[in-house]
Amino acid sequence: MKQDEKGVYYAKDIFVTETPEPGKDPKPWGKTAVIGKSQSRIDAYERVSGTAVYPSDLSLPNMLYGAILRCPHPHAIIKKVDTSRANKMPGVLAIISAATSEADIYWSYSKDVKTKLFDPHCRFEGETIAAVAAQTPYQASDALRSIQVDYQILPYIVDEQNALESGATKVHEGGNLVKPEETYFRGDIEKGFAQADVVLEESYRTECQVHTPMEPHGCVAYWDGDLLVIHESTQGVYSVQSNVAQTLGLPLSKVRVIGHYMGGGFGSKLVAGKYTVITALLAKRTGRPVKLFLTREETYLCTGNRPPANMTLKAGVKKDGTLTALDFSVTGTGGAYPAGGTALVDWLIKDLYTCPNVSTKATDVYINTGPARPFRAPGHPQGAWALEQMMDALAEAVGIDPVQLRLKNIPSYSQAREGNPPYTTTGLKDCLEQGAQAFRWNERKKEIEGFNSSKHLRRGVGMASCLWIAGGGGPPSTIILKLFSDGSVNLNMGASDIGTGTKTVMAMVVAEELNVRTEMIQIEHADTGTTQYATPSGGSKTVPTETPAVRSAAINIKQQLLQMAADDLKTQVSTLHFNGDEIVAKNDNSIKIKISEISGLKKRGVVVGIGYRGPNPEGKVVNPFAAQFCEVEVNTKTGEVRIIDFLGANDSGRVMDRLTYDNQVYGGITMGIGFAMTEVRILDSNDTGKMLNRNWHDYKLPTALDMPPHMESLPIDLPDTEANITGAKGLGEPVTIPTAAAIANAVYHATGVRIRKTPLNPTQLSMIFSEHLKEK
Amino acid sequence: MLPNFTYVCASSEKEAIKHLASDGARIHAGGTDLLGCLRDHVFTARKIVSISKLDSLHGIRKTAEGGLRVGALATITEVARNPIIRDRYHVLAQAASEVASPQLRNQGTIGGNICQKPRCWYYRGEFHCLRKGGDQCFAAGGENQFHCIFGGDMCYIVHPSDTSPALLSLGASVQISGKRGSRTVLMEHFHIPPGQDVQKETILEPDEIVTAILLPPASPAMKSSYRKVRARQSWDFALAGTALAIQFSGATVEKARVVFSGVAPVPWRSKEVEKTITGKRLDANLAAKAAEAAVKGAEAMEKNAYKIPLLRGIVEEELIAIAKL
Ligand SMILES: Cc1cc2nc3c(=O)[nH]c(=O)nc-3n(C[C@H](O)[C@H](O)[C@H](O)COP(=O)(O)OP(=O)(O)OC[C@H]3O[C@@H](n4cnc5c(N)ncnc54)[C@H](O)[C@@H]3O)c2cc1C
Repeated sequence: MKQDEKGVYYAKDIFVTETPEPGKDPKPWGKTAVIGKSQSRIDAYERVSGTAVYPSDLSLPNMLYGAILRCPHPHAIIKKVDTSRANKMPGVLAIISAATSEADIYWSYSKDVKTKLFDPHCRFEGETIAAVAAQTPYQASDALRSIQVDYQILPYIVDEQNALESGATKVHEGGNLVKPEETYFRGDIEKGFAQADVVLEESYRTECQVHTPMEPHGCVAYWDGDLLVIHESTQGVYSVQSNVAQTLGLPLSKVRVIGHYMGGGFGSKLVAGKYTVITALLAKRTGRPVKLFLTREETYLCTGNRPPANMTLKAGVKKDGTLTALDFSVTGTGGAYPAGGTALVDWLIKDLYTCPNVSTKATDVYINTGPARPFRAPGHPQGAWALEQMMDALAEAVGIDPVQLRLKNIPSYSQAREGNPPYTTTGLKDCLEQGAQAFRWNERKKEIEGFNSSKHLRRGVGMASCLWIAGGGGPPSTIILKLFSDGSVNLNMGASDIGTGTKTVMAMVVAEELNVRTEMIQIEHADTGTTQYATPSGGSKTVPTETPAVRSAAINIKQQLLQMAADDLKTQVSTLHFNGDEIVAKNDNSIKIKISEISGLKKRGVVVGIGYRGPNPEGKVVNPFAAQFCEVEVNTKTGEVRIIDFLGANDSGRVMDRLTYDNQVYGGITMGIGFAMTEVRILDSNDTGKMLNRNWHDYKLPTALDMPPHMESLPIDLPDTEANITGAKGLGEPVTIPTAAAIANAVYHATGVRIRKTPLNPTQLSMIFSEHLKEK
Repeated sequence: MLPNFTYVCASSEKEAIKHLASDGARIHAGGTDLLGCLRDHVFTARKIVSISKLDSLHGIRKTAEGGLRVGALATITEVARNPIIRDRYHVLAQAASEVASPQLRNQGTIGGNICQKPRCWYYRGEFHCLRKGGDQCFAAGGENQFHCIFGGDMCYIVHPSDTSPALLSLGASVQISGKRGSRTVLMEHFHIPPGQDVQKETILEPDEIVTAILLPPASPAMKSSYRKVRARQSWDFALAGTALAIQFSGATVEKARVVFSGVAPVPWRSKEVEKTITGKRLDANLAAKAAEAAVKGAEAMEKNAYKIPLLRGIVEEELIAIAKL
């Protein structure tokens, strides 16, 4: 592409943002030229045309195909693994199992729990038993089927609701309690209930939701001498590097993990899997690159899930809408190993609304299923399902509009954290008020009452709100920017773009700060060999973590250019500033130099800027907030629910790229609809304990036709200047937290029937409506 | 992964039938069901006999009697879009358009659709169940939320096809060729309930091919419709559904065929509903009565009791709707 003839800086009308003195923080952006606009993905063409090479697309010379033999039982002891027949099959180059010396290593399921990589005690269906490398995927699969395994099949437990009953099968010797019940108290819960005018108590359940990224989990690995190179589909190359180095006893420098493109993770690809280590071992044994990607069935069994949640919530409210007490408990399971089975489920109860008296209790149990992994906003959608339906019920009980009830209880500080630190910003009020207005909440509530007279197709509106516990990001992050002599820029960062548009947003920051077109920016990222340390892309923290570091790196370049210009012009830096493609003296514009003429840049050929992520504000909390509104139509004869409209209002600080912002909002609502309406993990609890719906037909993700015909994203553009130097907060997770509860509230509004369990579809609702709506 | 097999593409019906006589041979039409079964090791195949090049099995055309001959290889999309089917055999066009997803409808054939294998997750999964020659039905005491409320007998599958109930409601018959010649069988007799043979879904012998489906002439007084309820709006089988083909005289039902999908191991003709409405004025009251009749004799298992109110709701809603058509 031809560089703008003006040289380094291209824009005519926009001044380059003021450059702070070295060591000082820049001012927040004022009017922006690039940030906040709609910028399509800088890699859109590659992604859409198929030229983007995802790890699962990679094909290397002499590459072999790996496959893993997995335990078909939820609980069994491996007595014997006989690979003799498989070893002789054509194309088979390596088989590893517990008997293989280099595979006799430990795998960390958690900080404290380690087992052998091929442990004879299989505690969930899908646990690894052996692995094969062969010349074709078919040969690898045939070889797996020829391995003879003697299993001692053990009793199992796959229902977390019975895991603590006496006589329940023990998943681990110490019993099924993962850790002592976690409790939290503040205030005086009994007093709180005594002050209430209305006290309600309900039980709720959300089903287990399984991660379904388009690209399954896996990698291509090879050894280059003693350097292990892994192309992994991952959210964080540095975390994979450290997991693999630790497991194999290698120095970090000898593990290079590359993850340029990746096809989604939603939390299930934050760390390495056993599959990563197994691939490395197979590559070592054969001396050839090995590609090992899991089948969809395998990912459903053993690469994580959002745990089921069994919740009860008792709540007290005064007639004027003041919350007086919340008493919550949850039982959940992370599967067969410690995996946060109840993590953060109670967070919204503790922190979302002002309430002086709160008590929560969480019981995390083991069952014989694949370990959970974080799933987009861990714990939050489950907790919201309970809390937000309860808020709706309380609102009705005291005769206050649900939006008003929430507005009445907005805290300005975090009640659940030590010392009650204030939020840097809270846009919850704006989300509720502006969201309600944009949705026409009040008008629609009335209109619907007319629609519903005496019909079995009934309409309803519902809403729910949330915050997300993280989303402020923070150190560390190191960014390197290179400005070449022609003005084009290379951006080097360790973070992964997990499909959210990270690269695009970072390019926009560079474009904004250096006034260079995004097409002039080349990005190197997600490679532990060539880019700098970064934390995995998760927790809605990538934008607030990385954009400030990118901005700092760009400012660092500008500071260097000013110094070089000062040297050339023989003047003081403080007298100079940027003006278009020149650096000019502030009080005498005859003293100037074209940036491309700066001798330092011309001589070196490059100016390297380094940016670090600075600390977050001390004693304050940076959280994003959201509210969602929807309208549904319910067929009370069949239990069908059709979503007609959805609106998501989000406060995630400054809007960086309006397009990728809206993508997150629509995507989060979509995923929330799946959680509410169609997605359920089904286990054969009576007979075999096996998972029954492990493919895309039986595990029902919502389709395009299950989406509302109209969805709207309403950004509350509230730059959080205290949070960091770009003013952005996280967005990727709050967008999916309130969705399910908002739908349930709308179904209630339509029918007067409270649905306490997911999924909201005819398999449950036709029965419930036939029992509860007889008179209507 | 697929098993090893040889592949032949037959150039005549005779040749196809000859190949099918060999052990472990399977017919391949669109392959949308067959390949899935093979990949999941539901059964295996030694020889795959493609029938896609058999011209005589393609196309949809009128018969001399004024009916319609739908070639077995007509795709579901062709059936859904055919103007005559849309006009006179509306229930079939509607059912076809509700099958699976656009891609599957473009690739899948009507012959394959009526011959498709059950979707029971035990049958399709790693379970050696009765239908696969084992000695146990895992669904009976297991996760049976998608299983039958009518006609269960040792095995509790539901028939997965949407087009079959529609065809049955229209009084269609199936044309079959095999090594002993050809025969024509009423759709009503084409599928086999588990009580008769728990390992077979159709009356076809291994060497037999469905060549066409014959629709009798459609009476102008007939109204027909298909209604399907599923857990999601596309790419999903019926939780329950009903095909209706009703001849009216004014508002009075003269003749009715009512066939359910998603509730029984074979397309389930409801003589109870037919009896309830025949000869009567079809209004909201009668529809409610018919809905009660629809679920007479239904037997719920532990997890599928919802299908009873669901079917009741569908029948009531759809009868009221067809009366207004
Ligand atoms: C994800 C998914 C969702 C689906 N959803 C639905 C749905 O909602 N409703 C619905 O009705 N169907 C549904 N289907 C089934 C789909 O419609 C059938 O797979 C398709 O119609 C089969 O046609 P085919 O030509 O691909 O058959 P094939 O896969 O080629 O064959 C299917 C079976 O029939 C046999 N066969 C095929 N043609 C003949 C013939 N002419 N004579 C004798 N035997 C023959 C084959 O040997 C094989 O056993 C779904 C399928 C999938 C994969």
